[in-house]
Amino acid sequence: MIEQYTIAATPKYNFPQQTMDLTLPQRFIELSLHSLKHVQNQTFQLNQQTIQQNTTNANNTSQEPLYAIINNTSLKPIPLTPRTEETTIAAVDTSSIKLGETSTGIITAIRGTCIWKKGRNYAYLRIGPFIFHITEENLKDVYRALQAAYFPEQGESQASPNIMQAPVRMANLLEKWLQQTLARTVSNGLILFDGSLTAGTPDTPTSQLKEILNNARAGGNTVLAFSKMTTLRFNGYLITDTLITQKPPCIIAVSNIKPKQPTVLLGEVYVAKLTRGNCTFRLDIDKEQPPEKRIEAVERLIGNDLVTQSYPETLRLAHILCTFTANEVIAMQHFIQQRYRLKIIERPDMHRLLFGPFGKGESHSEAL
Amino acid sequence: MRLYKKEGNIVQILSFPNENAEKGDYLLIEDAEAQKALIVQVIDIQFANIPGVLEELLRSLPDGGEIIQGEDVDPLEIAPHITYIQDSRLLICKIRATVEGGESLSPSSSWLPSRSQSTIKRLPIPTLLKLARVDGKLPIVLGTTKEASLLTVDASALDGRLNIITGKKETGKSHLSKLLITALLHYGATVVVLDLNGEYAGLGMTADGKRNAYYNKVHVLTPSQNFKVALKQLHLNELMNILIHALHLPGTSAREFRRIWQSLRERNALTLNELGEAIRNWHCNQNVRDALFSRYYAMVNSGFFTDNMAEATLLEECLSKAKDEGGAIIINLRDTSTIDRQIVVEYLLGKLVELLSSWRLRAVFLFAEEAHLYLRETYWDDIVTRMRHYGIFTTFITNQPDTIRENIYRQADNIFLFNFTNEHDLETVSRAARVDAETVKSIAMDLPPHHCLVLGKIVKDFPIVVKVRALDIKTMGETRLFFKNTS
Repeated sequence: MIEQYTIAATPKYNFPQQTMDLTLPQRFIELSLHSLKHVQNQTFQLNQQTIQQNTTNANNTSQEPLYAIINNTSLKPIPLTPRTEETTIAAVDTSSIKLGETSTGIITAIRGTCIWKKGRNYAYLRIGPFIFHITEENLKDVYRALQAAYFPEQGESQASPNIMQAPVRMANLLEKWLQQTLARTVSNGLILFDGSLTAGTPDTPTSQLKEILNNARAGGNTVLAFSKMTTLRFNGYLITDTLITQKPPCIIAVSNIKPKQPTVLLGEVYVAKLTRGNCTFRLDIDKEQPPEKRIEAVERLIGNDLVTQSYPETLRLAHILCTFTANEVIAMQHFIQQRYRLKIIERPDMHRLLFGPFGKGESHSEAL
Repeated sequence: MRLYKKEGNIVQILSFPNENAEKGDYLLIEDAEAQKALIVQVIDIQFANIPGVLEELLRSLPDGGEIIQGEDVDPLEIAPHITYIQDSRLLICKIRATVEGGESLSPSSSWLPSRSQSTIKRLPIPTLLKLARVDGKLPIVLGTTKEASLLTVDASALDGRLNIITGKKETGKSHLSKLLITALLHYGATVVVLDLNGEYAGLGMTADGKRNAYYNKVHVLTPSQNFKVALKQLHLNELMNILIHALHLPGTSAREFRRIWQSLRERNALTLNELGEAIRNWHCNQNVRDALFSRYYAMVNSGFFTDNMAEATLLEECLSKAKDEGGAIIINLRDTSTIDRQIVVEYLLGKLVELLSSWRLRAVFLFAEEAHLYLRETYWDDIVTRMRHYGIFTTFITNQPDTIRENIYRQADNIFLFNFTNEHDLETVSRAARVDAETVKSIAMDLPPHHCLVLGKIVKDFPIVVKVRALDIKTMGETRLFFKNTS
């Protein structure tokens, strides 16, 4: 039984329509504090190479490879006309970061952000950071407890991640919960996800994503998922390159995509070029929506949101606000060091030790 | 606080928001293993260069003119830690000395304390003063430091020294010089003040107009009123100095004047009247005569010269009295024209040198306000070198530091620096040999009124900021205002 902590929870989020009583993700806090409680007075090696992971980046790797069989005739772009009738636009993104290692596990931080735009104004809700001490011993318990708390109907069907995957998977749980919350809260709006609408992966069970989409649809919402990166190819070329010469704003439907089992596509895949320039994105729109409604959703998006480089501002803000800055990482390390009396140790950086100036990582390799 | 970097004699220290340190504060970097400690002074405070800060600031920027409204659910309360890191500062410090064995000071900065093991703490000014042995038998309380402790210096640190009091208008220069003068009077010193604006006349009075302890020691001499000189008293060289340097008498005419003077002296006829007659009847070139006449009338018109010996002895009397009991002779130059002022100062300095060289006076503390207005250029070197050996110890007071020559700054023993916002002025003062330019520029720029950065031997070369204490002395140098009674 996980010990209960007395946390003064924010009773309700300031979502545009408060039709639901949305309590703070209490379980996250409890598990965070509980996991950290057992880390006191240990040694702590700060992360030598800070790598931030947005959950969707990790998702993409698990979704791919996908391939598309596209007839030349189906490459006809669909021109879009911006629709300016007022529409609420909401977006979700989460990120995780490894703060360091203890002798028994890793310390990681997770944060999620919801952004919504109504009229001319943007607003945000940022939840976290939640800091976890994940060890081989508590990994299963922590992950399953979170899973059971947020998606109880799915039982414990999913396998627990390994210790290195855990931060991303936990952030993914928070993201799914935020998506679910938005799907239930927003009405007659557009809900933007970062990534795709691919399900059946370890971190996105089909039933979970289906439920989120069902809830969104029930509230009159359309879910649109933007992928910054894709490996989907047509005739050997990335599908995002197919619209380079087309006049924006337009989209192209990419049909006949055959995902590998057990992954399924719950969205209709499009390539979107919403503004001038070279940026095009893979855009997944809820498959259950009629085709004309999908197109209308994109038209409402470009008519209501600020779109630069073919990417909606709401989603961009969600991404920006959830990622951790270097300063925040230092602050979190300071917090756990101070609160839990961790003694920072400096193990040699094996990359530097072995490779010297050649061991700085990819970002520096071009200089050599 | 953590030691971050050392470059030359500059040390950079990382400081956190709960550790208050301000410009001018002293810190002690102790290395227990080395059994040494560095005394450093904060000369500048900067934001620590923390990665990600720019990104954080950009995040909080308005979006299309509107700040993004939002709510942060921060269950673990990390935000204060973020602020803590964001607000951390870098203290730029100057190494002042090394403490060895807990008490002996050396100016060395050749060793490096441990970055990981050193402890850094504030060094209270009283402790610093004790370590530096800034004390003595003749204490002068200058005022209070930022820690509200008293800054007490030794009057003997002014003895035999060249001092400069400088700062912009209305920052408290004259106030400090009055404080120093009264302290010197208290210890029986002889002080001569060249009072340009007549603001030292009230030294013997309290603010409410009553006599104070110095009343009998303050003598105000006003040229052409109670300060006159008889030709008979004058040595020819003194008069020649006046004629050549103050009245710009050419060489040929000066030679003729010398002969006239000798002729009058042989006849024991050294009076103004006789001098006029002698010039009139002297066999010489008409141009020379005209030149001599114009200087003669300048002397007569100044009112400073008299044939009445009774009127002409007051300066020597005052100096004699001051020699025995201590006293301040205030030369009130307030309503004196430029030329007359130069005549008076030439005479006074000549007289002082004469009295000092014949040991009729032991030493004189000379306070010269805006000295460039009455001292000729060539006097500067004289004042700071030759006259020091005679026993004239000068304190220059000015709000135009560039009017004092660089060689004077180089030889200045003590500098009392008030606020300057003009970088050019600070640049000038920073040429002083006893202080580094960074300290002067950085600290002096932020000094509030009546706060002074004390530099030099008087504080054993540990620059200290002091709020000059109030004096119960009648203010005489108030600015005349047109709108004074307008509420």
